[in-house]
Amino acid sequence: MSNQPQAQAESAGLNKTESAFRVRFGRIIGLFSRLVSNPTTVLGLVIIGLMLGMAIFAPWITEPNVPDPYQMPRDWGAVRMPPGTPGHWLGTTNEGGDVLYGIVWGSRTSLQLSLIVVGSTMVIGTIVGSIAGLLGGWVDELLMRIVDVFLSIPELIFALAIAAVLGPSFANIIFALSVVLWVKYARIMRAQVMQVKTNDYVDAARVIGDSKLNIYLRDILPNAVTPVTVQATLDMGNVVLIGATLSFIGLSEAGIAEWGVLVSEGQAGIASGRWWASTFPGVLIFLWAMAFNLVGDGLRDALDPRTEGR
Amino acid sequence: MFDDKQTPQSQDGTKFSSVASVRDLKVHFKAKRGVVHAVDGVSFEIRDGETLGLVGETGCGKSVTGRSFLRLLPVPPGILAGGSIRFKPQAACVGCNGAGCDFCAGAGRAATGEQQVDLLKISDEQMRRIRGDRIAMIFQDPGKALNPTMTIGAQVSEAFLQHRSKDLLKKAGLRADIGGCVGRFAHQEPRFGDGILLRVPPDRENRKRVQKALNAMVSSALADTQVPNPVKLMDRFPHELSGGMRQRVMIAQALACNPDLLIADEPTTALDVTVEARILDLIRDLQQRRKTSVLYISHDLSLVRRICDRVAVMYAGRIVEIGPSEEVFRNPRHPYTRGLIAAVPAAGIPRGQLAAIRGSVPELIDPPAACRFSGRCLYETSACRKHDPVLYNVSEGHSVACFIDHAAPSGDQPKYEKETS
Amino acid sequence: MSAVPKQHPSQEVLLSIRDVKKHYPIRDGALQRVVGSVRAVDGVSFDIRRGETVGLVGESGCGKTTLGRVISGLSDPTSGGVLYNLGQIGLQSVDGLQDNAARLFRRNCQMVFQDSFASLNPRHLVIDIVGRPLKVYKEASGSALTEKVVELLEQVGLGRQHLYRYPHQFSGGQRQRISIARALALDPEIIVLDEPTSALDVSVQAQILNLLNDLQKERNLAYLFITHDLSVVRHMADRLVVMYLGKVSEAGVASEVFQAPHHPYTKALMDSKPDLHEDRSETHTRGLGGIVPDPARPPQGCRFHTRCQSATPSCGWEVDDVIGLLEENQGIFEFMNGVERKSAFEAELSFDSEESAGLLAVALRSEQAPEAMKKALNRLQLNGDRVNLSFNQVDEVPLIQRAGGRESSCLLDPDEISIQGM
Repeated sequence: MSNQPQAQAESAGLNKTESAFRVRFGRIIGLFSRLVSNPTTVLGLVIIGLMLGMAIFAPWITEPNVPDPYQMPRDWGAVRMPPGTPGHWLGTTNEGGDVLYGIVWGSRTSLQLSLIVVGSTMVIGTIVGSIAGLLGGWVDELLMRIVDVFLSIPELIFALAIAAVLGPSFANIIFALSVVLWVKYARIMRAQVMQVKTNDYVDAARVIGDSKLNIYLRDILPNAVTPVTVQATLDMGNVVLIGATLSFIGLSEAGIAEWGVLVSEGQAGIASGRWWASTFPGVLIFLWAMAFNLVGDGLRDALDPRTEGR
Repeated sequence: MFDDKQTPQSQDGTKFSSVASVRDLKVHFKAKRGVVHAVDGVSFEIRDGETLGLVGETGCGKSVTGRSFLRLLPVPPGILAGGSIRFKPQAACVGCNGAGCDFCAGAGRAATGEQQVDLLKISDEQMRRIRGDRIAMIFQDPGKALNPTMTIGAQVSEAFLQHRSKDLLKKAGLRADIGGCVGRFAHQEPRFGDGILLRVPPDRENRKRVQKALNAMVSSALADTQVPNPVKLMDRFPHELSGGMRQRVMIAQALACNPDLLIADEPTTALDVTVEARILDLIRDLQQRRKTSVLYISHDLSLVRRICDRVAVMYAGRIVEIGPSEEVFRNPRHPYTRGLIAAVPAAGIPRGQLAAIRGSVPELIDPPAACRFSGRCLYETSACRKHDPVLYNVSEGHSVACFIDHAAPSGDQPKYEKETS
Repeated sequence: MSAVPKQHPSQEVLLSIRDVKKHYPIRDGALQRVVGSVRAVDGVSFDIRRGETVGLVGESGCGKTTLGRVISGLSDPTSGGVLYNLGQIGLQSVDGLQDNAARLFRRNCQMVFQDSFASLNPRHLVIDIVGRPLKVYKEASGSALTEKVVELLEQVGLGRQHLYRYPHQFSGGQRQRISIARALALDPEIIVLDEPTSALDVSVQAQILNLLNDLQKERNLAYLFITHDLSVVRHMADRLVVMYLGKVSEAGVASEVFQAPHHPYTKALMDSKPDLHEDRSETHTRGLGGIVPDPARPPQGCRFHTRCQSATPSCGWEVDDVIGLLEENQGIFEFMNGVERKSAFEAELSFDSEESAGLLAVALRSEQAPEAMKKALNRLQLNGDRVNLSFNQVDEVPLIQRAGGRESSCLLDPDEISIQGM
């Protein structure tokens, strides 16, 4: 508990290079080292790294299609080819779509999907949850009842309904998922805000006379946001899972380079033994979701205040 | 110094026998930074019928010491690193029934004849039988120590069902070795299906008799702690009671089976001062009537002075001073004890001049071979920084671990520059 | 020899607490209607003068923490007000202050909390924490800010090496010093200290109390020192305010109150915890029986009468006291059917049978009932299975001014308290 010997040792050499930046940086480094001390988390990080690399370097891995790289290129001369075929290393679909191309560019679409959905839901949910948690009273009641309505409908079906109404398109899937998933964050944030605001340090900031907004930004938000970031990490994986499901059903545009669409395309061929068109994208969906789940769990452990102290 | 085979004697010849004898107890904790020597060589006796106070500030190891008696420490990260706690229950001497005779050497009480056991080494099964029955413990926060989902009656009953089943059955007018579901009910070892069997005659009648006997025992235990309306209390839940009442319930539960030793770990810290005074009176009263020995752990000096016969002052995992409480408070010999007493705000001290002890408690990881109080002591010398003092007798029953009162192996001797009041 | 109190009656009043009440509504039912209120603070008045320490003492549930929060502006009073001395303009209600005046009050009235860990944002460095008041009021920035913070840290016994540390890296005593440094940053006139040393070890407490005293002398600070620890408040306070169940039971010069308490509750508090340095044989310690009454339904007359050893017949005996007596008595309460109250002092109790009604009458005449209550009983009538009883109606006991600036809400003559409360 006491840091007397530590303090003495350091004041002796008066750590001249110590500064706020270094100390805060040191704390982040500490977080990272805790993250990588867990082998499953490392596995998840590695997989995510590979996926990210695949997404970033997509134009160099496979020749981008013209005019729209997100449309699957059709090679009508090489239809239903198995993996190992030169030029189509992972095989082709019933309509000559290159599976490898679909996987590589599909990682881009998945990245877009998850970043946009998670980003927007996190922001909306945090704002709504914070308002409910801070103001309480009828505002809280109203907002939470709205949240309850949303939560009473299963996510997948709700998203499905919205996407179906709006028409099949990838953008509509993104929109549908955003509309459906923000409530989770609102709930989490509200509970956190309500707990954090009772802490003495919030009262201390009020006694100093700081503005309400500043108190929220400096005291409440940073201490409340941890579970939200963990949930966001987990959702990066889960969103792709749900999105792929919706695409598979047919709510996305046909023919785009997206894992769910690919699985759907390849589905017809499975009975005839043409496993490759569905399996490869399926494996990637699985890896993506699993990797983010592993990292999310690892993040939760690493951010646990009990381990944060020492 | 103490021979377990004979009744120990203090220097003036009066005899006492010990209920518990702690020898060189060492408890360490594994932490990221190293091994913390939380308790590092603690030895003391708890005499039959006495209240021994264990006093010290945060981190001195007093709580860990108390919990070691009942092995209530989490074993990783805790490590029982050595020593022994010998437990030898005493009772009124069978030869003279308390009057005093040769057998008990005039004390009126003697060992019950049960084997002396080392609490640190006995099996878990044996420890379970001792816990709650021969040694009981009460804790600081009664709100946390009572099960919020059980009624008060149910909780206090547990003590009887665990340890006093035979008496219970006898009181109910049944054979002590009765088997079947009623027997299992009285021993708190229900089997699947017993719930139904116990509601059907003839066992239903027997169960009711046992329950009635149990209720009588519970309400008598509660009445002993001076609660108003014990019968009504039995149906209540802990959250309905005030802090003082909860503490009384905890005391009732602890004393239900008339233990030989009661360990009280800061039982009144969480209570208001006026309630605390009442609870202390109660503990004192019960202890005197039943001749229970009490190990009273606290950081509050005025409290300890009031109710303890002897007091042991702990610092950094060691006992630095031990003796009769009036003697230790009137004539403290260890600089830490002096500092502690002087730090308590009292009527005569002018403002801004409370005697604060400079520095702070050392980290107990791999402590060096020096006096643990060096670096904070007003009187330290080079001898103190090189050698580690042990407890030495300075006067009748009063021992101190400081080179001020006995010679250090080498170096300058520390001394008090002037005797301050 | 006791500490010389700072008695400067001519010292200006910095903060005047006038009849402050803080009630919390109790809601019940599906429509959440207000059915009553918890009267946490129920009419408290006293002044805090420049440079003096006012000790606010009481046990849990007395309202002292709530009052501290109202005074420091964290919570608004239900009625009554806190007046702040704005210099030339004089005392103005804190409630109505605008802009600059409000900022002035905010800067001049700071607070130190009990839990040193919870009162520091775990994600902020010491420089952030202590420098924050300076940033909020734009007093300094950059390296000037850092230097000012170092200066403050040194004043509380810490140093430059502590600037870039997180709260969890410090001990309890050090964290409390950081809290104090933060409170001093804006050079306030008054600091409200809510149990600042209750969670600290005795030796650390001594260091912090010494520090607080030194700072007070240097800066002529006024303290509102809230605590339950009598030995600490005796050491620190010039004037003492003792609270019980939301009201002031006694107030006056601290040393005088300790010499001769004018209220049985104060005496009970002092008797519960003897001074460490008194011999055991000379002390008669006793606590208080009974429990703290429900703050939503405080007792009539004097709130303390339900537990007071020196109670008189005119201290506010009421029907609830009789019911309380029954509850403690096995065998009567269960047979009571209902209570019809005509007022707090008059009611008709109905029972199962004549026998049980008779038992009540017996109980009321037995030694279980306090003498004062028996004498206060105006009428006790048995009507078959009903019992009619009534007491004299008594008003709430106000705070009575006594000699030497002392106030006490006890009807008794001060001399009678010392003898009777045996």
